[in-house]
Amino acid sequence: MTRKASPTIALFPEASFGAALNCVGIAQALRAKGARPVFICHAGFSGVFADYGFQEYQLPTDEPLSDSERQSYWQAFVRRHLPHFRLSPVDQLETYVAPTWQAIVDTAVNAEAPLRQLLARLKPDAVVLDNVIMFPAIAAAGCPWVRVVSCAETELPDTNVPPYLSGLGADDPQRAAFEARYLSASAPAHDRFNRFRADAGLAPLPKGQFLETSPDLNLLLTPSIVRRERAEPLDPMRFVYLEGCVRSEGPFEVPVFPRNGGPLVYVSFGSLGAMDVGLIERMLSVFDRLPARFIVNVGGLRDAYRAVPDNVYLDAWFPQPSVVAKSDLFIHHGGNNSFCEALRFGVPSLIMPYCWDGHDNARRAGETGVGDHIGRDAWTEGVLEKAILGLLADDAMRARLKDNAAQMALKPGTDVAAQAILSLIRT
Amino acid sequence: MQAAARRPRTNHLDLAQRILDVARQRGFEPGARLPEQQIASLCNVSRTPVRAALGLLAERGVVRWEADSGYHLAIDLTAQASVATELPATEEDELAEAILRDRSARRLDQTVTVAGLMRRYSAERKTVLKALNKLTEENLLDRAPGQSWLFRRTPDDPEAQGDSYEFRLLLEPAAILTPGFRLDGARAATLRQSMEALVALPDAAFDTREFQRLDIDFHGMLAEGCANRFVADALADHLRLRRLPGIYTGVNVFRLRQSLREHLVILDHLESLQYEVAADLLRIHLRLSRNQRPQAASRGAPALFGMISRPD
Repeated sequence: MTRKASPTIALFPEASFGAALNCVGIAQALRAKGARPVFICHAGFSGVFADYGFQEYQLPTDEPLSDSERQSYWQAFVRRHLPHFRLSPVDQLETYVAPTWQAIVDTAVNAEAPLRQLLARLKPDAVVLDNVIMFPAIAAAGCPWVRVVSCAETELPDTNVPPYLSGLGADDPQRAAFEARYLSASAPAHDRFNRFRADAGLAPLPKGQFLETSPDLNLLLTPSIVRRERAEPLDPMRFVYLEGCVRSEGPFEVPVFPRNGGPLVYVSFGSLGAMDVGLIERMLSVFDRLPARFIVNVGGLRDAYRAVPDNVYLDAWFPQPSVVAKSDLFIHHGGNNSFCEALRFGVPSLIMPYCWDGHDNARRAGETGVGDHIGRDAWTEGVLEKAILGLLADDAMRARLKDNAAQMALKPGTDVAAQAILSLIRT
Repeated sequence: MQAAARRPRTNHLDLAQRILDVARQRGFEPGARLPEQQIASLCNVSRTPVRAALGLLAERGVVRWEADSGYHLAIDLTAQASVATELPATEEDELAEAILRDRSARRLDQTVTVAGLMRRYSAERKTVLKALNKLTEENLLDRAPGQSWLFRRTPDDPEAQGDSYEFRLLLEPAAILTPGFRLDGARAATLRQSMEALVALPDAAFDTREFQRLDIDFHGMLAEGCANRFVADALADHLRLRRLPGIYTGVNVFRLRQSLREHLVILDHLESLQYEVAADLLRIHLRLSRNQRPQAASRGAPALFGMISRPD
């Protein structure tokens, strides 16, 4: 079968860095294979993809927020939710998960009309959706669509897989109680979403689910080493597991530290986690007494820190894959992108989750022996120190992770994804 | 910080660099004679420090001494934009660099004192004072009451970066369009060669530090070509801030490479005396170079560009 010489693939990641940068990795591989990847992006994310050389189409919004309104929004968001990030996963259901689902449904509703218009104009050969919610316009685009499951594998339910966002084990006795509470907390947003789907001509989804699997192709960012045995195996014709999905970045030069010795530890909790300045300050005081160097992503809040220890380097942004590749330990929030990058470069993870699938990846890191996890709130300096030093000293874990990374490097997830997407393109 | 007994004096190093700048501006070729008296006159100094500076350059192989005819230029100055990296750093230079590095990493507060710096770096008072004076001369620090100094604002946060690009958008194109603009041809040729070499490297070998050097040199060349000295000085002062650590982090290689290509096209138009086109392209280049990455993003939330204050 002949394929179009340069098919247009429209990638539509949600407005978060994890999904955005995953898709950059896939787009880089698509471009290398001769396709024309373009990005559909939410307001605020234009420029992010252009900086990697990709054409962008920003979804117009009726009521764009002014800069000061965005700042007020975030100031209120952080004030409201930082305390919630210290709660257990089950206690976050009503406080954080439910309002977030409502906001996500708003995003889908607001995007629908402009997305339909844009897709009609673009006429892509395939659409790649990296999100947690369905956009009916994509089903109506008249071309194959691809779902990227870029959260933890728990995003696709199965009786052998723990409930999404729970941080539980698969056979935890609390499972039924968590599931019931999740369905109850998400019900208002879910009911509203199903009504919206019905209006757009889509069938309703089962309770608790906001995104169906694609009839064409589904990509799971779940490397073999952390993959689960499902009660109902996924159809390999429609479901492709990726050994991570790591974008190509430029080289990273490790900075000179005034106290310049010992292993290198990279710390990043994503842009949202970087707002928890108090937590990072507590961590810095522990880092100060450890025989290691620490590179810490503090987002736009660098000026909030004073008297930073001599073995610590702060900055607002790092070319993360290139930094992880040079690190001996990666402390992160359990975002699936970060977790996959740690695995791709054979680096142990110390996960301190604060929301969403970070809880699931934290547990999985411990279960599969690729790292450790500690709670966001109830840690003492001794607990953090012991966890860091323990992982740095675990030569057996490191050797196993390095072997695994070598295997992952043989089958780059970005290439596998690009190949699978291009196989959908009709003549 | 260890005292280095054999470190050259700062003024000799400065003079050595000035001698090379003069030689390059005058188009001296390899082998050209460098008579002490002529150099002294061109640099507005006496022969004694010139002799010391030439001796320093001879140690580095940049000039050579011949018994019968004196000093001669030993290298092709058009092949390298600056030989500063070839010259040894002074103790105060190293201390100034460490101070800037530690301020950038927020190991130092915005206000520093001589006593505090002496303790932190185990340095002598006179070395600390020299380093602080150097940073003050470079407009990176201001003297505050008592024995304290205050770091000036630098473009290392999103808001300051935005202000910096606005400032450059106002002045850099104006520097080209002001009547009397002159491009330093030899410097432009050297820069072109270096930028073409860097742009040809694969991503994995791309040298961000070399990009920083070339970027500062390119924009500095435009500033220095301006016939209005006030514009030139304001830009030179501002561009100096871009030498600080951390200014170029966070820009990915694709954009850096694109930026080099934009420099080359601007250079094409400057060399063919199409100053208005060059100024327009420079405006576009600066707009594209401004970082658009949001500071924060989360599911269902509008991306944040500006800063928020520290959460309680």
